[in-house]
Amino acid sequence: MAEAPASVQTPLSRRGIERLDLMLLCAEALDLNGGEAMVWLSEEMGFTDLFPNRVELWKRRCSNPLRRNTRRASLKPEETDALIRILTALSERLYPMLRTLLSSAEPAELNAQRWDLFRSRLRELVLERLNPRRGGVQRLLDPEQGPALSRELVQAMALCAGEGGFERLRASLLDAAV
Amino acid sequence: MKLTTRYEQTSCRLIVEGLPDLSAGQDASTIGILTGFTMGLAGQTELEGKREHLQALLSAVIPYARHLLSGVPKAFGAADAPVAIAPGETGHQLELRSSQPNTPPLTLRLDDAELSDLVRCLDQLRLDSRLALPFEAPPLLPLARKELRHRQPLLRRIAAPVAGVAALAISAALIAMLPTPKPAAQTAPELAPPAKGG
Repeated sequence: MAEAPASVQTPLSRRGIERLDLMLLCAEALDLNGGEAMVWLSEEMGFTDLFPNRVELWKRRCSNPLRRNTRRASLKPEETDALIRILTALSERLYPMLRTLLSSAEPAELNAQRWDLFRSRLRELVLERLNPRRGGVQRLLDPEQGPALSRELVQAMALCAGEGGFERLRASLLDAAV
Repeated sequence: MKLTTRYEQTSCRLIVEGLPDLSAGQDASTIGILTGFTMGLAGQTELEGKREHLQALLSAVIPYARHLLSGVPKAFGAADAPVAIAPGETGHQLELRSSQPNTPPLTLRLDDAELSDLVRCLDQLRLDSRLALPFEAPPLLPLARKELRHRQPLLRRIAAPVAGVAALAISAALIAMLPTPKPAAQTAPELAPPAKGG
């Protein structure tokens, strides 16, 4: 696995961490074993020094300000880089599903059912783990804005799948605040 | 000895052909000189081209995907470039301009899945260690605030400054309505009588 260039050591903004954790949550909504897959990939990719066990990995994800039990400790760039690498590897594994959801060649009715299933799983995870009083969470749960936001997240996962997606996603998560 | 490398995703197939550049000390399994490529895209067409066409494809599609990932789709590819890509009404429009005279440009409509297939094929190409071709890929950098401005609706973007200016104007008007305090009547200071003796 290629190492990230040492020159880029900018930490992610709060918005970047929010988006990274939401995409990891989408991976869990797409794959019922997504949480286990994250732990397994973390070990497989050699991140045991950064995340020695699943609790440490979980604690890093709780830096997301939208979480119910958010942690104020900021993440180091090497920790966010490792989480981005785990996400790109997960997206690569889930790519056939991501592609099917995004494809216009699939039967419309069947794809609508797939989207409904994905959104209902994502909704359950969001209600369980995120703070419903936050505007970002309310937009995600909103019946009008939610579908477009979840499609954006799925499209972002498809565009960052694989090793080639690492730098693209990291650059996107480091975007200036608007 | 001609070498062939394939990169495949569901709707995109890219086959690169070339030769090792033995004069540069490359081994026999490395492509150092690209002789041509063929690409099957979205089940619609089979494209052929040379290195400059592949370079133009990379220069347009990779930054397009970068902007799309940040939620700000933007057209890429100059008017005289062989490849241009822009957001369409539904999906993405890839325009391929032939270098042959009197050949009209070919416009392909890609959906989100076909675009990500193409991006993945190009990612595999640019990261492949079996290719010793210095493709010029634009650096993948964070976008500046001015590039992201239209991601937020105008109303939400201007809500805070408008509310600030309105609050200032209202408080200034209220303060202006208060009567000006009259100066207090001045009384002559009384001098203490001089001390006697001493």
